[in-house]
Amino acid sequence: MAQPLADRCIVITGAGRGIGAEVARFTGSLGARVLVNDPGVNIDGSGGDAGPAQSVANEIVAAGGTAAANLDSIATEAGGENLIRQCLDTWGRVDGVVHVAGILRDRMIFNMSPQEWDDVIAVHLTGYFNLAKPASVIMRQQRFGRVIAFSSSSGLMGNAGQANYGAAKAGIAGGVRCLARDLGRYGITSNGIAPTAGTRMTQSIPEAAPLASGAVARAEEIEPPFPEARFVAPMVAYLLTDQAWNVNGKIFHVAGGQVSLAYEEVPDRSIAKAGMWTVDELRAVVPEQLMSGVINPAPPPPTLDLPGRPATP
Amino acid sequence: MGALDGKVAVITGSGRGIGRGIARLFAQEGARVVVNDPGVNVDGSGGDTGPAQQVADEIVAAGGEAVASLDSVADSAAAERLIGMALDNWGRLDILVNVAGILRDRMIFNMSHEEWDAVIAVHLKGAYNTIRPASVLMRQQRCGRIINFSSVSGLVGNIGQFNYGSAKAAIAGMTRVIARDLGRYGVTCNAIAPGAATRMTQSVPDSARQLQAAAGMQAVSIDLGEHESAFARLVEAEYVAPMVAFLASDAAWNINGNVFYVNGGEVARAHHPIQMRTVYRRGLWTLPELDDAVQNVLLKDIPNPAPPRDDVQVPGRDTPAPPLA
Repeated sequence: MAQPLADRCIVITGAGRGIGAEVARFTGSLGARVLVNDPGVNIDGSGGDAGPAQSVANEIVAAGGTAAANLDSIATEAGGENLIRQCLDTWGRVDGVVHVAGILRDRMIFNMSPQEWDDVIAVHLTGYFNLAKPASVIMRQQRFGRVIAFSSSSGLMGNAGQANYGAAKAGIAGGVRCLARDLGRYGITSNGIAPTAGTRMTQSIPEAAPLASGAVARAEEIEPPFPEARFVAPMVAYLLTDQAWNVNGKIFHVAGGQVSLAYEEVPDRSIAKAGMWTVDELRAVVPEQLMSGVINPAPPPPTLDLPGRPATP
Repeated sequence: MGALDGKVAVITGSGRGIGRGIARLFAQEGARVVVNDPGVNVDGSGGDTGPAQQVADEIVAAGGEAVASLDSVADSAAAERLIGMALDNWGRLDILVNVAGILRDRMIFNMSHEEWDAVIAVHLKGAYNTIRPASVLMRQQRCGRIINFSSVSGLVGNIGQFNYGSAKAAIAGMTRVIARDLGRYGVTCNAIAPGAATRMTQSVPDSARQLQAAAGMQAVSIDLGEHESAFARLVEAEYVAPMVAFLASDAAWNINGNVFYVNGGEVARAHHPIQMRTVYRRGLWTLPELDDAVQNVLLKDIPNPAPPRDDVQVPGRDTPAPPLA
């Protein structure tokens, strides 16, 4: 009997470690041919090591599957093109691409250097374009394909000290929605995953977060220790199956055994007036109606002398 | 007395459209305004000193205070210079409004790297380029307002706008993070997703129609479901300004980290993309279990925004799929 992903040719970025490696192993065990991409850099993007990608590819082959390794950086246009070309040259098609690769350079916005901004945007967000662009050309010709990208609650909900990472990850969610509309009619789906898992990347958070965010709690309710990375793999694999042909343009939060569909950022509560509002009118209705029950995620401390804040009795 | 008396504001992209409406209302409400606009075309080409200078002149002629800036926010050094103009002229910066943006619409499979980079540079890097130096000042002042412009194209999705939609959704994410970085210093950061008839939206129907015609498609509209009526028609850009001015005022000191849709007289708070529906299992999910949970619970009654055409042979729909177990 054919396996669920029999002969599907899948490219996975950042597959040498963490969630990417779990997705690679799991899809490999379901019959997919897996191109394991990972330049083996440190969390901050420095360095490089051929070991992680090669060892995951070797594991898949040792378990009876089909895999190859690729060390290109998805942050470059050439890296994305090489990756897609290698998959085509090796197996003749590209059925799915999964963009897991990412780095971290956490810093409060007022201290964040242009380099820290650019490097994080380059790997996560431009990396998504670098992968999706050449993949979409092939998939449109095939009239089949799956594009899956990794977002994060850091961007979807907000997390202090991560303006670069949060912007990139929320940008990926926007890209997922646009890609779904560009490619859906060609038999291609585009979806996003916002994972919570214990990996090398989340290990750095307990150190960075107190420094960066003071008393502010992380947006998600799940506290360390995070669920294992392998819990993310089944949902990614499901989105790659033929059964998921009509699942398109969605963002899923996955944390351990919990799988959720995210809200689209559509209007929630609204106020309306026939004609143009005045600032005075908005002052009267916005706090009480539109914002009723909505909390400030990082309110100013009571000691701060703040214009507009009513004096406390 | 105006809602923004004595405040100093930098407004990017304020030579035309929504930005101009904000600059004029801010000045009416008593703010001193740096009108920033390099006067480029919608695609980012060219340049014209006219628009920024004209809006600044109008404000001064009406008895207000304004100066023009032609710097491009896509350039880090130029953006720092822009923030410096507020300091040089008036000694402080209370409000930063990031409106500047360009369009290079293209289907993903035809989008060039130049088209990707140019749009990301103005919208997203441009927002970083202005916010970073502004945040240093605002943190020192223990007071400030940052208002960014997002878009329904990124928050919900739109055809032919992978670059613009990614940038605009990224701005929403960045807004949520910066709200958390700066809130404790008395600074707020919010975003607006506007609907307005401007030079930019005039080009959207045209380019969307061209892209759809090239793809052999019927017209596609952004599916806002029950919210469609709010965005069915685009009204004058001036209508966006009052909500921006309110968020910039002292009265909005505790509104932080939100995205607001503004279209005509309708103002809505956007849903955060938090968990809407959840399924839970102890341990690892199997694929047949996920198939059932996704199809029958998570996505029940939620459509595919662009389902495969009838003439595409879809495995799982038109040909049998391999069993999941």
